[in-house]
Amino acid sequence: MATSKCSQAGQQLWAKMPKVGGYTRLCFAWSVIGFLVHTNSSYRITHQANAELFALTYGSLVTELVRDHEDPIEVNKQLDKIGKSIGVRCVDEFLAKADVAGLGLASQCQSLRDTAEVVARMGFRMFLGVGAECGAFSQDQKSFSIYFHDNPLSTFVELPPAGDDQMGDDLRKLKYSNIYCGIIRGALEQVNLKVDVTLVQCTLKGDEVNEIRVELKEVLADGAGDDYKEE
Amino acid sequence: MGFLHLFIVNKSGGLILHRSLGPRAPSIGTNDWLRIGSTFHSLHAIAAEASPVRLPKNKNPSGADDGIQQIEGSGVTLKCLQTRTGIKFVLTAEPGTTDIDTALREIYVLYADCALKDPFYELEMPIRCELFTSAVDNLIERLEQSKMSAVR
Repeated sequence: MATSKCSQAGQQLWAKMPKVGGYTRLCFAWSVIGFLVHTNSSYRITHQANAELFALTYGSLVTELVRDHEDPIEVNKQLDKIGKSIGVRCVDEFLAKADVAGLGLASQCQSLRDTAEVVARMGFRMFLGVGAECGAFSQDQKSFSIYFHDNPLSTFVELPPAGDDQMGDDLRKLKYSNIYCGIIRGALEQVNLKVDVTLVQCTLKGDEVNEIRVELKEVLADGAGDDYKEE
Repeated sequence: MGFLHLFIVNKSGGLILHRSLGPRAPSIGTNDWLRIGSTFHSLHAIAAEASPVRLPKNKNPSGADDGIQQIEGSGVTLKCLQTRTGIKFVLTAEPGTTDIDTALREIYVLYADCALKDPFYELEMPIRCELFTSAVDNLIERLEQSKMSAVR
């Protein structure tokens, strides 16, 4: 009961925010989530209160998007987009802090397998305070899955059962935690890895574990480029 | 001994921040700064091409693109930290200044903490973040003070 009260409060808070247009709203969402996701040592979201605020803020963002777009597929897209703009920023924090902590990340990431380990074990731990595992590498080593059990975003969430209300049926298509996909996509893009990311299993839908599938599309080249060298 | 200038170049060669760090830093106009930023960016890329030793995938041991890491002159030392995301943090200092590498790494952390977390900061654009610039000033002050006390 307390949970629904909390999420109501969150929605009310959300309703009071200035709504000039989609962009402002996204900026606000990004600033709040950015603030919470990008945890400083002093703002670790393992602190209960912060973790709740984080979950509620994300919840109100998702419900707002559902109300705006009505189509859950479109909501998934929006979440992915928001996630990407978080990802392209938070990767620098990750690299900077890992470097200062002397973890020597760069020398570690020689293959996609190493990258997967770093994303799952270190990235998830650092930003979300939960551990994740990677596995299910494909034969060609170009795709892998990230598994995690505790999802700090969905602490209070129950997807309405099918046919519960006018949206219930549709909401089964909602990928509630799709923001993770965008974050991973954005973060890896900044280090020249173009990937496709999908949320394939979600504990909210009754699956045993959350699974995010990451598929490497191409390694982007930077620097002078090959055309230039041949001349 | 002391730090002179900090400048930051984005991955396409645009200058996104320049700042003088001490009273002894020569004053350089904004246009000159823009020129320095893009020239350095090009030289960095050319240096990697010109190097007789090609590192695997053109990456240096810290995983960033290979290129200029340090330039030394009798009156100035320049050090560059290129991140894996392609941003270059460059510090110039008087010869004999220690802690330049530490300062660069700390500045990268400050950039991630102060500039990137500002929702209104657009990636690749000039940094106009007071939080960031004052944090850099504090960092440099702290480093210079610790050096002073080490000398004593």
